[in-house]
Amino acid sequence: MVKEIERAGIPVVHICTVTPISLTVGANRIVPAIAIPHPLGNPALTMEEEKRIRRKLLNTALKALSTEVEDQTVFEPEE
Amino acid sequence: MKLELGYIDIQDIQFSEESKIANGVLYVNKDEIQKIVLGQEHIRSVEIDIARPGESVRITPVKDVIEPRVKVEGPGGIFPGVISKVGTVGSGKTHVLRGSAVVTTGQIVGFQEGIIDMAGPGADYTPFSKLNNLVLKMEPEEGLAQHEHEHALRMAGLKVATYLGELARNVQPDETQEFETYSIPEGMEKLKGLPRVAYVLMLQSQGLMHDTYVYGVDAKRSLPTIINPTEIMDGAILSGNCVSACDKNTTYHHLNNPVVMDLFDKHGKEINFVGVIITNENVYLADKERSSDWTAKLAEWLGLDGVIISQEGFGNPDTDLIMNCKKIESKNIPTVIITDEYAGRDGSSQSLADADALATAVVTGGNANELITLPKLDKVIGDVSYVERIAGGFNGNLKEDGSIVVELQAITGATNEMGFNRLSAR
Repeated sequence: MVKEIERAGIPVVHICTVTPISLTVGANRIVPAIAIPHPLGNPALTMEEEKRIRRKLLNTALKALSTEVEDQTVFEPEE
Repeated sequence: MKLELGYIDIQDIQFSEESKIANGVLYVNKDEIQKIVLGQEHIRSVEIDIARPGESVRITPVKDVIEPRVKVEGPGGIFPGVISKVGTVGSGKTHVLRGSAVVTTGQIVGFQEGIIDMAGPGADYTPFSKLNNLVLKMEPEEGLAQHEHEHALRMAGLKVATYLGELARNVQPDETQEFETYSIPEGMEKLKGLPRVAYVLMLQSQGLMHDTYVYGVDAKRSLPTIINPTEIMDGAILSGNCVSACDKNTTYHHLNNPVVMDLFDKHGKEINFVGVIITNENVYLADKERSSDWTAKLAEWLGLDGVIISQEGFGNPDTDLIMNCKKIESKNIPTVIITDEYAGRDGSSQSLADADALATAVVTGGNANELITLPKLDKVIGDVSYVERIAGGFNGNLKEDGSIVVELQAITGATNEMGFNRLSAR
């Protein structure tokens, strides 16, 4: 899906847990997620802590989307 | 460590007043089995049946398959840490009821449970069609949580297998076989010059009922470690898996691991079978990196000349497989990986989710997406209505004439990644 949408000229950020697979299949902008059963959250945390990591992931993804890349790039989440 | 397996060949199972083994027949008292199963918390009812090779019987949805065994000499007991107390097994003598198994079925727990056909084309795809199976169809209490349901069925299956194994304690085996591995210095001396080979056994540990237990420890909560192959033969590794039927390792597979058996075959002749490294398949990337770092460290530390790696399941564990392969290869230790494929129904899609140029030697258990039509069989043990919902099934796959169209994925053991099946391209 990532590749097909990009083929249509729209840049895509792939948020995923297993970044090596994302690299193998050819995504260009990759943001590491939390875990396979809960990529964007963590049921072990409180609601406040979860909100914080969600915001962090989303901000990283938006930053990745607006960053020019030459090669496949993994964007590590930042505060 | 040395273990002697005494095989008692079971030609048939029959219900009887008294549970015993005589002249190759396993006689089973139904009431006693029922008592064991109903003694397990959360199980409401059980139906006990027998499925023999060649009979027109379909068992579904299958959870686990367990071979009855009993420890007759040496420390520890069968299924240590779960049924027997924790204690190192793998030495002394163990009796095996070869040709028989306990199969657990009943109301579905997860969507990844399988089909065993005892006759017809489906029978060729599962090794369990060749066994005399005591089938437990167990129903849980109402409103039971899935993980408690899974635990109850797993424990009941193991308890029944233990009870049957106990019947073989004083029976003279039809055949015995010895398995011995050496300590590092012993092996270096006795088998000097032979290549040092170990087996990296990957255990499904994604959680949410995709779990494996080692001496009772949930594998996802453990770091990779070393285990003697003979410990596995005594039930140190147990399946707690509702993962895709075709490539999950049932408890039967662990007890009879064909990679272990084949490495022992060459042990002392062509190779020095050093031992088994067990590792997990977790759902955090950091776990995958850490565990594969660890298998590579252990491989280097053991001074290995070659490694065989087997996977369990598919999808994200493909990454664990490739990480193990890549990192061990990077230590200049050649590897062979055993996996299976999800290449689409026409076989033209990418087979694995991950790949690497260092994975140069691959053995495949086949394409799990391949479709097969299973004709109607006379009898169903379990409930056939689940076949639309299990992995490998789809809406409308249960035909009016009673036949079923499924992907091989739905057949228990069909593309096993230890190589425990008879499928071949030749």
